[in-house]
Amino acid sequence: MRQNEVITGQDFREMFACATAWLEKSAQDIDALNVFPVPDGDTGTNMLLTMHSSMEEAYRAPDNSTSAIAQAIAKGALMGARGNSGVILSQILRGLAQDMTDKETLTGADLADALEEASRMAYKGLSNPVEGTILTVIKDASAAARKLVNEGNTDLTAVMDVAVKSANESVANTPTLLPILKESGVVDAGGQGLYTLLEGALHYLRGEAEQIQFRKPQMVASSIPLTARPPEMIAADEIPFGYCTEFMLKGQKLKADKIRTKLEKKGESLIVVGDDSTVRIHIHTLDPGDVIHYAASLGTMHQVSIRNMDEQHRDFLEMQRDKAPAVDMAIVAVVSGDGLAEVFTSLGVTAIVPGGQTMNPSTKDILRAIESSVSDKVIVLPNNKNIVLTAEQVKSLTNKSVEIVTTETIPQGVAALLAFDFEADLKTNARLMRQAIPAIKTVEITRAVRSTKINGMKIRRKQAIGLLNGELVAVGDSPTSALYDTLEKLDLDIQEIVTIYFGDETEQAEAEQASATIREKYPQLQVEVVKGGQPHYHYIVSVE
Amino acid sequence: MAVKIVTDSLSDLTDDIIGDLDITIVPLTVLFGRETYIDRVTITTEEFYRRLTTQNILPSTTQPTPQAFADVYNKLAEETDEILVITLSSKLSGTYQSAMSAIEMMEKKCRVEVIDSETVAMGLGLVVLAAAREARNGMKLEEITHFVQRSLERVHFIIYFDTLKYLAKGGRIGKAQVMLGSMLSFKPILTVKEGEISPVTRVRSQVAGIEYLFNFVTSFHQIDALAVEHSTQPEIADRLVDRLSVALPGKPIVRSVVSPVLGVHAGPNAIAATVLESN
Repeated sequence: MRQNEVITGQDFREMFACATAWLEKSAQDIDALNVFPVPDGDTGTNMLLTMHSSMEEAYRAPDNSTSAIAQAIAKGALMGARGNSGVILSQILRGLAQDMTDKETLTGADLADALEEASRMAYKGLSNPVEGTILTVIKDASAAARKLVNEGNTDLTAVMDVAVKSANESVANTPTLLPILKESGVVDAGGQGLYTLLEGALHYLRGEAEQIQFRKPQMVASSIPLTARPPEMIAADEIPFGYCTEFMLKGQKLKADKIRTKLEKKGESLIVVGDDSTVRIHIHTLDPGDVIHYAASLGTMHQVSIRNMDEQHRDFLEMQRDKAPAVDMAIVAVVSGDGLAEVFTSLGVTAIVPGGQTMNPSTKDILRAIESSVSDKVIVLPNNKNIVLTAEQVKSLTNKSVEIVTTETIPQGVAALLAFDFEADLKTNARLMRQAIPAIKTVEITRAVRSTKINGMKIRRKQAIGLLNGELVAVGDSPTSALYDTLEKLDLDIQEIVTIYFGDETEQAEAEQASATIREKYPQLQVEVVKGGQPHYHYIVSVE
Repeated sequence: MAVKIVTDSLSDLTDDIIGDLDITIVPLTVLFGRETYIDRVTITTEEFYRRLTTQNILPSTTQPTPQAFADVYNKLAEETDEILVITLSSKLSGTYQSAMSAIEMMEKKCRVEVIDSETVAMGLGLVVLAAAREARNGMKLEEITHFVQRSLERVHFIIYFDTLKYLAKGGRIGKAQVMLGSMLSFKPILTVKEGEISPVTRVRSQVAGIEYLFNFVTSFHQIDALAVEHSTQPEIADRLVDRLSVALPGKPIVRSVVSPVLGVHAGPNAIAATVLESN
C-alpha cells in the first residue's frame, strides 16, 4: 500500500474527483436501492449531481490550499445539492471544510478531525435524525478514524482505509437499524453512496486512480438475511405523499435553526442547512405554497423544484414491477408456530393461515388468505391431514385459479415449497410439488392425550410418543428417547438430510444435543436444527 | 475467406475445441484484491478454485478492455474480412460493450458483428461451437449471425450451486434475489434468463441437484449438443456424463470446467448442464 503521511490541496481535489468518478459508476445501482416512501426517487443520481457541482467549484478555488479547495467543494455542494441525500451530503462536506479552515495540507489526524465535524454537521441539519441511514455511516466511519489516530497511526491512507472498512460494515448493518430497509430487502442507498465516495477516495490515496477505470464499485450486502417482499399496490384512498419541495434561499442574516423550527410542522423529511447568506431547504409537504410563501418573506429563492411524489410513487411501483420476478403466483400455507411461519415465508409463501393440529382453520380463513393474495393463481399447502378437506372446499368458493397440494405434514409442506419451479406455470408447479411429497419422511414427537394400547404398545397418558408418517411407532419417557426410537425405524444409512424443528416447549440446547447424538451415530447425515416454535409437538423432523 | 469467430473466456470452451475450430478467446480478468490474473491464461482453474476456497478474500472480475478486442480484430483482419463476436450476457458484464467500442478503434477495414448472447458458460460455448463449425463450412457473416440468433433461442443452461454466498456477495444476483434470506438451508438451481441470473428451483442436497440436472437434460426430445461442467468436482460431473451417455446414446457430450470468472459467483461444487435443442 502506498503510504501518505500528508497530501496537498491539489491532491485533495484529485482525491474528490476520483471519489466522484467512482460514485458515477454505481449511481444507477444505488438508485435501484430506493425505498418508497423514502424521499428521493434517485439517491445515487442526486448524490452524483451534488458532487459534480462540488467539483466544478473546486476547480474555481482561489488558491490550491486544502482549506480553499475544501471550502469550494462545500460551497459547490450547497449550491448544487439535489434531493434528501444530496443535501445531507452537502452538510457532510461543509463539516469537512469547516474543520480544514487555514490548513495548507491534510494529514491522517486532520482527516479524523474533519470526519468528526462532518458527522456532527450531518446530524445537525436534520430536525429528526434517523439511524440506519447515511448519518450512521458517517458517524461510524469517523469513529473508526478517530480510534486509529488515537492508537497512534496517523498515516492518511491508513486512516481512510479504516474509515472505508467501517463504512462498509455500517452500510451492511443499516437494515438491522431501519425496519423499512429490512422489509424492502435493501441496504440504505445514501449510506451506500457515501461508502462508495470514501472508497473512491481511498483508491486515489492508494495510487489506483488509473486501475479503477475498468472496475466497478461493489454494492454492500446486508449483514442480515433480507426477504424482499412484493411491493404493495397503491390503494385509491391512500393518504397522498404530497410534494417534494426543494429550493435554495439567499438573503442576509438567515438563521437555519429558526427556519427549521418554523417549517417543522409544515411537512416531513425536513432538512434545512446552510450559512447566514445561503440556506438549502428540502421538505415533503401537502402545501408547498405555504412553504414558498414563508421563504419568500426571508430572501430570494433559487433552483425551486416541486415534484409530485404520488407520481413518483407510481413510477417507482412500475420500476419495482419490472424488477420483480416473472413468477405471478401466490402460495398460501397453514402453519402454526413463529419459527415455522418464518421458515415458510422465507421460502416464498405469500400468506400464512395460522393453524394445525387441534386448531383447524375454517374454510373462510383459507378463503380470505386466497382472496387477499396479489395474484390470481394460488397454491394452497394445508400441511395437515385434517385440513386437506377444508382446503379442497375453497376451490369452489373463489374465482381465482387454486391448486391444493395435499401436504399432510409440515415437512411435506417444506418439501413441496422447495420444489417450486420459478419458470413453470400453476398446473406444472402443483404437479412438481406433489411429486416432491413421497420422498419425505415425517417424524413427529408429541405426548399421549390418554392411556391406550396401540400397535402392541402400552401407552400411559402424557408419555412421549413418536409418529412416523402419521403412524404411532414409538413410546418413551422423554421426547428425545421417543425421537431416537422413531428414527430407528428408518434406514438412516441411506438418508441424506435430517431437519429438526423444535417446538415451543423444547429448549434449543436439548434439540442441539439430539442433533449431535444423531450425527455421531450416522456421520454421513447432514442434520439441521431449526426453531419451529410449534405447539403440542416437541419435535417435527423431516428425513430425506 | 472464412468468417472468424471470437468469444470471451466465459464460453468455457476447451483448448482442444478452440484449436480445432480456430476460435479466438478474449479473456476477462480475475482479481484477488490487487492481484490480477488473466482468466485461464495466467491462472489455472484449479489454482483459482483452490484460492477461492482456502483464502479469505473474495475475488472479483473485470471485462476485457476495448483495446484487447481491437488488438484481436486487427490481427484477424489480416486473414479475413468478416468477424463475428459472441459475448456473454451484457447484463452480467461490460464485455459486450468493450467488444462494441473496439470496432471504432480498428485500424484495418473489416466487417465486425457483435452479438450479446444473453447467456453464459456452455450456454454461450455450445452456440459458439456450432457457429465456428458453420464458419468452417463456409457460411457467410450474415447467415451465421442469423444462425447464432436462432441457436441462442434453443440453448438451455442450468447450474447447480452449492451456495448462494458467492453470488450474493458478487452483486450479480439478479432475479435469484428471491432465494435469499431463507431460514432453511438449500441448494439453488439457477439459469440465465433474458441475460440475468434467474432462479429455477431449490433442492436440499447435491445428489438431488444432480438428479434435477439429469431429469432436465433428458426431458428434451430433440438434442443437437450437450455439455456438462463442474467447478471443483470433476468426478461428480463425470458420473453425470456417464449416466447421460447411457440415457441418450450416441449424443456427444462436451465436458468442460466452469471458468473462474463465473466461479467467482458460483463457488465450489457447482455443476452445470447445457442443452442445445435441434431445430
